[in-house]
Amino acid sequence: MTDDLISKWELSRRRVLGGAAGLGLLGPAGTFAQGAGPWSQPPKSKVDKLNFVVWTYADIYARIAKQFETDWGVKVDSTISSFNDHPTKLATMYAAGEKIDVSQSSPFSFPNFVSQGLVEPLDDMPGAKEYAADFTPFTRQVAMVNGKLMGLPYFATAWVWNYYSDMLEKLKIDKPFSTYEEFIEHCVKAKKDGVSRYPVLWVAGVGLEQLPGTWYQMTWNRGGTFFDKQGNHMLGPGSVARETLKWWANTFEKGLDIADPESLKVQFTTSAKAFGAGKNLYRGPNHHYGLNVANDPAQSPIAGKVKVLGSPGDGKTIADAHVYFLCTANRNKEWAWKLLQYLGGKTKDGNYTQASALAKDAMLGSGYTSVMNSDAIKTGWAPWGDVPEILKIWDKSAYIAEVCSSIYQPWHFPWTDQLNIEVQKCLTGQITPDACCDNLIKGIADAKRKV
Amino acid sequence: MKFRGELSARQFAFVMNLPTLLFLGAVLAYPVIYAGYLSVHKVGLAQLRRGEFPFSGWENYGRVLEDPLFWVAIKNTLIFTAVTVVSEIVLAIAVALLINQTSIWTSRITRFLILLPYAIPPICNGLIWSFMYSFQFGFLNRLLFSAGLIDDPVNWAGNPDTALYAVSVPYIWRTLPFAIILMHAALQGIPRELYEQASIDGANAWHRFRQITLPMLQQIIAIILILRTAFAFAVFEEILAITQGGPGDATWVAAWYSYKITFSPPNNFGMGAASAFILALMIAMIALVYLRAVYRRVQL
Repeated sequence: MTDDLISKWELSRRRVLGGAAGLGLLGPAGTFAQGAGPWSQPPKSKVDKLNFVVWTYADIYARIAKQFETDWGVKVDSTISSFNDHPTKLATMYAAGEKIDVSQSSPFSFPNFVSQGLVEPLDDMPGAKEYAADFTPFTRQVAMVNGKLMGLPYFATAWVWNYYSDMLEKLKIDKPFSTYEEFIEHCVKAKKDGVSRYPVLWVAGVGLEQLPGTWYQMTWNRGGTFFDKQGNHMLGPGSVARETLKWWANTFEKGLDIADPESLKVQFTTSAKAFGAGKNLYRGPNHHYGLNVANDPAQSPIAGKVKVLGSPGDGKTIADAHVYFLCTANRNKEWAWKLLQYLGGKTKDGNYTQASALAKDAMLGSGYTSVMNSDAIKTGWAPWGDVPEILKIWDKSAYIAEVCSSIYQPWHFPWTDQLNIEVQKCLTGQITPDACCDNLIKGIADAKRKV
Repeated sequence: MKFRGELSARQFAFVMNLPTLLFLGAVLAYPVIYAGYLSVHKVGLAQLRRGEFPFSGWENYGRVLEDPLFWVAIKNTLIFTAVTVVSEIVLAIAVALLINQTSIWTSRITRFLILLPYAIPPICNGLIWSFMYSFQFGFLNRLLFSAGLIDDPVNWAGNPDTALYAVSVPYIWRTLPFAIILMHAALQGIPRELYEQASIDGANAWHRFRQITLPMLQQIIAIILILRTAFAFAVFEEILAITQGGPGDATWVAAWYSYKITFSPPNNFGMGAASAFILALMIAMIALVYLRAVYRRVQL
């Protein structure tokens, strides 16, 4: 299925690029500026104000709200909470009957928001089909639900490894690992030589994409999944997921003791900041944009020395996309769609303003093929990492649901709660990897009962 | 003497209490009753928005009681409560006795400073201690290392054996001033003459504490026990900021369980309300035990 999607993406990329070149529409920044499109037309109805409910990211929402107000003369209120608190904030506002025009979601929460009736389908909105045609495969898998367009992309990311180049040089190792055996060799050597007490920092804090994401990624890279196409678990004895967990647990205290104990607490950004302290040799696998923290001189003493690395073997990795959506609790559907496009689509001038700004300011990937092929990525990401290398890794990535299809199930969250608990118990040596997997198999039925 | 139309003492008391009763009914009883109503219905986000809840009887309670994670959370909550409440009472007595020394001028400054942790929002307190506990970069490990007390950093909040106690310390640090203030106020109410007379009779400091101070503090200890137990059962912010229930389930407590069931997809508000109600019942039972065992004995 992934290969199928990749081939579709390639076709789409060629088609869009070809079309853009032919029409001469490629803007100076490499994104499409089509002033005469539906995004430039004002809705016929009137509205006093609009609002969005989002999680925080620097000042991007203040900027885009201001631009919307300037372009359309409609005030935009914002409710901004932290990433972890966002689903709670949105759920309580929705349950309390408040007006919500636009909001956003991680790919994990999105199926739940759709099934609970928070999300308005977008297929009939002006310009929606053009957006969908430009989606990357990950975005399509997240934003299209049961064949309907339900959201526009916020950002996309692929899982990569990082290494600290100076430390590698100090160890007199000429290149980073290309097999898991080499990985262990390098880490053991770093510890033995006294270069690093804890050579690897895993991104394994409690969450949806950290601890589970690390296990998903390494399982996928080794050719395994968590569920088959029929939805049966793939965690039994001898399974790739189980063997991967055994290997992973062995890097912690009760095994080789090469994993930083802080691994079990850190999230995406905090792990990048911790890695920036220069005490570990390897970090990951996790979101590619951690480089924008680890290589930022303002945040990292080893800025410029953190390099990106693909995964062993054929380099298979995972990726995902987060989305904005039009909420069913909106004030005015036409205007809410207009606001949604400012966040996840095109502004009045026909540019993917937000997506391009996120690429340049925060190293985020885009859910749009045209933006991914544009200078916003090629030059925007360059200050923090090796762009061709990251894009090479990107091309080998599959949507996270290919590895763990329970994402689409209502019981995924309670099961993930258990997964976080059991795997942390396993990594801290309280239970064996076999017991962990057995508990998780049993936990599927328990999680279903909580729905 | 009673004037015509004058209310009896009983009636007057009732009228005077009525506004408070109505206010408490609106802000306390209504949400509790509503949560009770939700707990016996199937309630997700969509149902809550529409206001249409299919009746589910005791199903939510059954699901909570069948969930092994709920019992892990209850066990952790009981340990946390025992550790924090006992520590608070012992420390509160000790600190209150110290700042009660009027002859020491620094006591007055200490009395003011002691209030500071209580003014810190719980979530900020959790974040501060989260940084302090950091394995490689935390202040606590650095301090202990510099003092020669440890050779390697200790993973305070990341080790399943220490995590629950690691979360207890910031909680005690934040809530201790409340107990100290109550204890100090009670100490000031003990007549000085009792101590003077005991000294004349040859009682030393320990005897005076055992025979005078401690018996006179029993009422306030009973009050602190009840209040602090109820609050400790509902600990949430420090868990959220420091461990988020981890590592594993080492710090999953009852309030965290209710929060996760309610606000994580699939947003089972009915089951969340049921778990909160079970917790409230447990607290009520413990309060009753306290009342019988301690409160009555001290003849309030």
